[in-house]
Amino acid sequence: MDVFIQLIVNGIMLGSMYAIISVGLTLIFGVVRVVNFAHGELLMVGMYAVYLLFAKFGLHPYASAVPVVILLFCLGMAIQRFIIQPLLNADEHIQIFATVGLSTALVNLALMLFGADLYSVSAPDVRRSVTFAGNTVLVGQLVMLGASILLVGGLHAFMQTTALGRAIRATAQNRNAALLMGVRVDRIYLVSFGLGAACVGLASALVSPLFPATPTVGTYFVLTAFVVVVLGGMRSMYGAFAGAMIIGLVDSLSAYYIAPDLKEVVYFAIFILILIFKPTGLFGFGRGTE
Amino acid sequence: MNILMKAALVAGLAVSATAATAQVKIGALYPFSGGLALLGDESFRGLELATEERNAKGGLNGKALQIVKGDAVDPNQAVGEARRLTSVEKVSVVFGTYSSSLSIAATQVTELAGVPYFELGAISDPITERGFKNLYRSNPTARDFAASMVDSIGEAIAPALGVDAKSLKVAIIHEDSLYGQTVAGYQTARAKEKGVTIVETLPYSAKSVDLTPVILRLKSANIDVVLQTSYQNDTVLFFRQAKEQGFKPKAVMGAGGGYSLRETAQAVGYENIEGALNVDFTQYKTNAAAAPGIADFVAKYKAKYGTDPRSGHSLANYVGANLFFDAMASAKDLAPAAIRESVMKIDLPVGSTASGWGAKFNEAGQNTRVSPFIMQWQGGELVTVFPPKAAVVKMKTGLGTN
Repeated sequence: MDVFIQLIVNGIMLGSMYAIISVGLTLIFGVVRVVNFAHGELLMVGMYAVYLLFAKFGLHPYASAVPVVILLFCLGMAIQRFIIQPLLNADEHIQIFATVGLSTALVNLALMLFGADLYSVSAPDVRRSVTFAGNTVLVGQLVMLGASILLVGGLHAFMQTTALGRAIRATAQNRNAALLMGVRVDRIYLVSFGLGAACVGLASALVSPLFPATPTVGTYFVLTAFVVVVLGGMRSMYGAFAGAMIIGLVDSLSAYYIAPDLKEVVYFAIFILILIFKPTGLFGFGRGTE
Repeated sequence: MNILMKAALVAGLAVSATAATAQVKIGALYPFSGGLALLGDESFRGLELATEERNAKGGLNGKALQIVKGDAVDPNQAVGEARRLTSVEKVSVVFGTYSSSLSIAATQVTELAGVPYFELGAISDPITERGFKNLYRSNPTARDFAASMVDSIGEAIAPALGVDAKSLKVAIIHEDSLYGQTVAGYQTARAKEKGVTIVETLPYSAKSVDLTPVILRLKSANIDVVLQTSYQNDTVLFFRQAKEQGFKPKAVMGAGGGYSLRETAQAVGYENIEGALNVDFTQYKTNAAAAPGIADFVAKYKAKYGTDPRSGHSLANYVGANLFFDAMASAKDLAPAAIRESVMKIDLPVGSTASGWGAKFNEAGQNTRVSPFIMQWQGGELVTVFPPKAAVVKMKTGLGTN
């Protein structure tokens, strides 16, 4: 029983990490309608930025969240402006290959600049473990849980209440109609991609103390992030959050009770079942809105 | 000007023509760029040192050795570079490779071309199990690594703990790609032979972002000894999360890989990796009684590159290269058949080289007098602790300093 509760706690913590990484992907997919295969590499870029700020200026990983979020916002806008925008009316496959190419290029750039070794920020305060009722969590994991709830809630409020948020939702619903209503769709795309990347920037500041940066670190997370986004119904923030929690719990429990190397099998099986019975995801908006 | 240039050109041609007659070209096939470059280059340094030393002593029977580099980033490129070395550069022999997948690809080309290939560092067993006639390997294989790990439970860990080896609960955990599967398979077989009890065998993906479930299973099974075969990232994750979950086994041992790298120890923290055991090629902090000439090697390395060796790979390549240079020097010519005859005559007892290895090659071309040593992280250094003759300090038990 003790182990079971620890596994649940662990799964929730894992889920919040998946959530915070997946939110940006949901936003980019939901609005720009581009499957961004370079999402994991954005995380990698963010993590190296956090490491550099830590190593050169002694900045605490949490303090580096501010510059890294700004950096990734700009990087996201640049990707949208110079890679996605010229291909906006091209075939979907071409957009996908453009992001796959970007992903490969970024991994190899990191290999060139940093080599294959891992770099780790040291943040003993974040890695301190807290014990309650015999269960162990890290301070950093609790922070991640809080931050992911705030981020999802904040983004939701932003989308519902602000003019920009409404414009983003309008563009997501119907690009042409939004254009006719006077929404500058190109700019909305720029901002949305930027915001999506900025979310990854926040994620990288929170993940860095728990996970060392390597050129391929993005690939560890990106597949799970896609599962989370599809499970959540592609465009729903709350859906992504719920999807992340489900994957986190399944991950943790199946690794213990079944086998550590079979956990992917278990959660992909669940994923396929959900897609069979509810093709638009758990929180999808119905057929045709994907 | 024009005349001068022509004169220089002619002189240059003349020099290279005379030099060419007194040279033996050898290929050096390593990953010099890409993700494997760091240890590929470290491996090459061993070959480079051995070559320079040999040339300073008058070369191979009076002929200078000339290294022709081939950059093998991946198996495809290994094949291409092996073709270039054998057919365009026309090297007499090829040395390599550090990585097993590169070696398997490149040796297929050299075998067909009939050019002897000297493997100095790749550990995958199948490399020398394909019936090749012109392939020789000086270093120990994955099976040797696994055997050393399992044997050390009875020979080193149990005595240090003062208990019977049969009473220790042992777990094998490994990443689930070819590397981990292979080593774990050999470990399981060896454990059966030696009567060691394996309580849990847990494979996991090296791309795991969470090993807590693995650790909780080890913890609830009250495991005493963990044998891990891992890369860098999963090693870091295992040590961090073991500490967080309060899992304190009596001994943890790695199969090289992530355990041998300083960056791993730094990411885990020296105080947390303290006491972790590791099986790998001979590292430079080894007792000279078991590895005569190791101090000499380290001194030469420092003089040339200005740092301590970055890992044991340079030493393994240095020792292997010297073995094969000796064989080439005593062969009647550099034809593959003559080299094979000469390699088969090598007969050095264990403990006679700078890496502590001996040399006696079987029909498959594998050196049978090699076994890796056991190292331990102590005070931020990876030091040899077993066998006793090779040890520089006494082995500790437990994990972490606190």
